[in-house]
Amino acid sequence: MMLQPVRRPLGPLKSLLRRNRQAQQFMARTMATETTPTASEMAASSSIPPPPISTLAAKKPSKFHVIPSKTPGKPIRTAFAVYAPPPSARAAHPDALISYHAQQIRRLDRTGTRTALFSKKNPDAAKPGDVLQVTTNRGEPFAGVCLSIKRAGVDTAILLRNHLTKVGVEMWYKIYSPNVLGIEIIWRRPKRARRARLYFMRKPRHDMGNVEHLVAAWRRSRNVFSSNKGRGTQGKGGKGSKGSK
Amino acid sequence: MAPRLPAGWAASLSLSPSTVLTTRILLIERHALLPRTAKRGVKYGWSTLPSRSRPARFNQVSSGLPVPTAGPAAALKRKEATTPLRTGVLAVKKGVSAMFVGGLRMPCTILQMEQVEVVAAKTREKNGYWAVQLGLGHKTAGNVTAPLLGYYEAKGVAPKRHLAEFKVRTEEGLLPVGVQLQPDWFKLGQFVDARSKSRGMGFAGGMKRHGFAGQGASHGNSKNHRTIGTTGPSQGGGSRVHPGKKMPGRMGNERVTVQNLRVLKFDNEMGIVVVSGHVAGPKGCVVKISDAIKKDPPAQTFIDKARRILLERNPEAEAKLEQARLRHLELKEARKEGRIGEAMAATTAATITATATESATA
Repeated sequence: MMLQPVRRPLGPLKSLLRRNRQAQQFMARTMATETTPTASEMAASSSIPPPPISTLAAKKPSKFHVIPSKTPGKPIRTAFAVYAPPPSARAAHPDALISYHAQQIRRLDRTGTRTALFSKKNPDAAKPGDVLQVTTNRGEPFAGVCLSIKRAGVDTAILLRNHLTKVGVEMWYKIYSPNVLGIEIIWRRPKRARRARLYFMRKPRHDMGNVEHLVAAWRRSRNVFSSNKGRGTQGKGGKGSKGSK
Repeated sequence: MAPRLPAGWAASLSLSPSTVLTTRILLIERHALLPRTAKRGVKYGWSTLPSRSRPARFNQVSSGLPVPTAGPAAALKRKEATTPLRTGVLAVKKGVSAMFVGGLRMPCTILQMEQVEVVAAKTREKNGYWAVQLGLGHKTAGNVTAPLLGYYEAKGVAPKRHLAEFKVRTEEGLLPVGVQLQPDWFKLGQFVDARSKSRGMGFAGGMKRHGFAGQGASHGNSKNHRTIGTTGPSQGGGSRVHPGKKMPGRMGNERVTVQNLRVLKFDNEMGIVVVSGHVAGPKGCVVKISDAIKKDPPAQTFIDKARRILLERNPEAEAKLEQARLRHLELKEARKEGRIGEAMAATTAATITATATESATA
């Protein structure tokens, strides 16, 4: 611990810069995301068939496959006409699963904010250890510390942990689900977690406990910037997040 | 009646040992000189009598006997209700994901149809059943054996990576050879069955393979915690292991059918069919998708429409097949006569001339 500043003299500067950047972003409140459930998938993809692929050219016997002979004077043992194969869907889309994910994410996250919120390329993305609040189309918004992010394309999910009535509660949320109206960063972990899965936070020694005080602080900070401050109902997570975007 | 034996069959038995030895030597010498042909034929004891099992005058169907409940015709009749009206398709499993359909998350499997073509039609007259043979993928000609190269040559189809048959109920379910099937062969929301080979688990014990309970950790148990226990009753019960007894052995790598999966999505451009739920086997395994046998097939109007679209996309399939067949016969003759080199040269020259003519006209 003592040697660390010697080895990385500019180490603290990085975290300071990051915090500064995030504080500025926090004022702009751009992290609230919203997706509108689009028309049903049934209607979306029933507009196929595409134009027919012409197979007339493909059916021409293009070449011969020659099986050589070992006899010196006779080079060809036999030969067969080989017809050209039809166009390959696999060559055009070598990784169909990735294409599928991209297509579905385009459909469910039109603006791309949800993807950016959890993108590895985004330095200000939500990370394990941050406290997030998820607003769904039913019930109260759920806030909790993010223990892990399961990245699986359109099936990407986050695991939030909180304490409700002194009982530990964990909830998985699919970030692209149409039922999830908004995801917000309530509190950032001051120092980046050095693990991707913070399951050790389930142990009493590391447990964050209830995050209600962080949510309350976040609400207060939002009320400062809103036009009609002083009204207690304004800070209600989901509505505020929807209005901000 | 036992087959007749040749008249002098017992003569060799009565010979003296020395004579037998000379006979053997003589025989070997004769065999060494003459071509090796087996001693077979009528004069060596084969019967030429007609088969006794043929239906004679009194056991004809028309003589008031019941229709046989066994045999090919009866089997086809019995399986008619569960045989799909039309062919299924072959696809490759690409992976598993989820789809949100109206707020509901549905786990799904992504299957890709790669160059799925009809290679042959199996008919009642020739093969005893109606079926469509499909091919998937592409194989380099150098990796295909000569007999199969001839097969594909006669069909006018490029060599396929996998071949599979799909039985259909009647002749109406057959498709012309050479047509390419696309994912829109299926109707959105229809039910399908997916057949594939499950992941091989290797040699597995009874607990893993059949879900046996295993045995206690203590109470005097000695080195038998995961063993299967008894395999059957003792004396009085037969003192034997009954056939089909579940035991340790190779697990997985067997064909698994998952029934009644919904088609959630298809995309002709990507060549994918997305079905709900999971399909057995690892990524990259070949999956046979066909209309579910325990659900109603898609509406007849849809079946007709899909067929019409298919035939429009692949015009003149029959003519092309006939052309390929005739060409195959020519080439086959050339191969037999050892002048395949000239046939190849002639074809190449003709192609070059045709191309030159085309370019000249253009």
